[in-house]
Amino acid sequence: MLSLLDIAERTQTGPKVTEMDWDMGLFRKMTELTQRYAIRAPQDIDWFNTDDDLAARAFQAGVDFLSEAGVYCLSTGRVVQCTRDEVLTAIREAPDRVEMGEAGDRRVFRQHQVEGREPLNVCPGHHAPFTVDLGPLVVESFARIPRTDFLEGFNFSSVDGREIYGLPMEAYAVRRQMDYLRAGICKAGRPGLAIVLYPINTRIGALLAALDPDYGLRRTDGMLLSVLPDLKMEHDLLTAAIVGHEYGLFTLSGSFSIVGGFCGGIEGAIIEGVVKPIVAMLVYRDYINYVGVEDSRGVSLQRIAFQPASWARSLVFQALNTYTHTVSMAWVIPTSGPGTETNLIETAIRSIEAQINGGNLYAIRHSRAQMNAGQTPLEAEWMIEVADATLRAGLDRAGAGRVCRALNARLQGREPEPGHPIGECYDLLRHRPLPEYERTYRTLKDELASLGLDFG
Amino acid sequence: MVADREKLLEALAEAILACDANQAAAAAQAILDAGLDPIEVLNTTVARTANEVGDRFESGEYFLPHLVLAGNAIEAASKVLQTAVPTGQLAAKKVIVIGTVEGDMHSLGKNIVAMMLRASGFEVHDLGVDVKSGTFIQRAQEVKADLIGLSCLMTTTLPYQREVIEDLQAQGLRDRFKVIIGGGPVTEAWAEEIGADGYGRDVTEAVQVARALTGLA
Repeated sequence: MLSLLDIAERTQTGPKVTEMDWDMGLFRKMTELTQRYAIRAPQDIDWFNTDDDLAARAFQAGVDFLSEAGVYCLSTGRVVQCTRDEVLTAIREAPDRVEMGEAGDRRVFRQHQVEGREPLNVCPGHHAPFTVDLGPLVVESFARIPRTDFLEGFNFSSVDGREIYGLPMEAYAVRRQMDYLRAGICKAGRPGLAIVLYPINTRIGALLAALDPDYGLRRTDGMLLSVLPDLKMEHDLLTAAIVGHEYGLFTLSGSFSIVGGFCGGIEGAIIEGVVKPIVAMLVYRDYINYVGVEDSRGVSLQRIAFQPASWARSLVFQALNTYTHTVSMAWVIPTSGPGTETNLIETAIRSIEAQINGGNLYAIRHSRAQMNAGQTPLEAEWMIEVADATLRAGLDRAGAGRVCRALNARLQGREPEPGHPIGECYDLLRHRPLPEYERTYRTLKDELASLGLDFG
Repeated sequence: MVADREKLLEALAEAILACDANQAAAAAQAILDAGLDPIEVLNTTVARTANEVGDRFESGEYFLPHLVLAGNAIEAASKVLQTAVPTGQLAAKKVIVIGTVEGDMHSLGKNIVAMMLRASGFEVHDLGVDVKSGTFIQRAQEVKADLIGLSCLMTTTLPYQREVIEDLQAQGLRDRFKVIIGGGPVTEAWAEEIGADGYGRDVTEAVQVARALTGLA
């Protein structure tokens, strides 16, 4: 497999292009590949893709993109090019599992298959903003969830009464993020649980400040190093990948694509969704990726819109879980905030999808998370419960699709709800939702059971 | 005659919606050759079609590349039409300098807003990501901007939005530019706290606010 130093060299020697030329070239190449491989959404979309040949073609289109177009390096304005053989070798040699954590909390985080018959791996939360007074308690609460395999950090805007402004404060804040994570997992009785740095900032000084076996990231922990939209990489993250992997870290990437970006429509987003985790694996050695396809209407325009993105998401998971070793995660990212029924319905749909698609459960949070109002442990436990209930019920794609459609019907005409700060809907000390939120949760659970999910 | 006029205007609108700059320029030339008032065409057909482009993006029919290409077509047509407008009668285009602030590499939201503004008739100078305060201010002065647009996606880069406003104040330039901010962690309260002139919760609101701040709405 190409080494990270090979990648570093190519960021300095590849052809120089402007960012806009890259962006528009990406659109043209995606358009060409959707035609070359006849990638089209069916007229009458079922919730999940069941066309195996289409998944194979989507994978081939992804390989073609990477070997014909490459990856754009924002730092140097150059294109990193790879041969088809280099791409296929990297795909073949990548591991399908990642070991993390230590002692009694050691876990193996692994790839799962479409309609797989095993419980998913879980990162229940964070990747959301919390104030530092709540942080350690929140970490403890999420770490107490038994199925937690690793926990990602959280971001905050001030520390020790000082605003985080500028690289020195960012590096210091990263050190404190590590403190909060290490203290929280210890209080939860899980000192060996793997933690992952959530980059408070992606500047290299801030990233490397986390490396510290005694008080920061241990060699059994991880770091989030994501490929940017429109298949772009940059030098600070590459540097962190080189240093981090020598240190022993595992790394992961946010590798979903967005319909309506420079990849174009749903078809281009499918190809980008397949390419991006392969890029992350090549340029940062990210073997764990949260993948899929998101709708820009949900991401940027804040609307509840599942289809056709859910169908496309299932196709991307199918291609990656069948033809690569990508350890896929499904980011459960409702457009409504915690404490609301709408959030729990959106979360349920995403969690059913995750189990069926073979996407490990990742960091449920409001898509526009505000300080202390992005997530509570209830949504995380709900996400796990729903995925497990889907598995226990033995649902296949058709059966799960029926449940998703029924839930989606409940959302018609609704606007995203902003939700509530964690203190207004969840008791962190008692590790349970406040009564009103709990009632909403229980009512919905009964409803899902009546739709065929088996909560045991 | 009226039918011919309508056909010519329709051809221009169709060329813009087809994202075809050459066709749009040709349609604009045909409009001039027919003796139609270029100012009226700019203010009605071109402006209306620009709104249609934005609507099509919001409905999911158009994507970011379409905004770029439709923006090119609008510019090509406008350039032709403006040649026939007597000096002094042409309303100056509103100019915005936009970018993601220092320390922040996220571009998606900024790109969408930039393209939508361009399709709405703004002259957009996109400075990219990780842009220092001084670069925003220098460029805004160079291009005589009406607006400065500051995007960020991380809580730790919010202060860099404030830094631009503080630097404008320190340099005695605060009154020369309206400042609009946006991005994932940005709230109306933050906009008020740092003294921004406007805040867009989403892309639609950002364009509305930019238009309002520059007297277009």
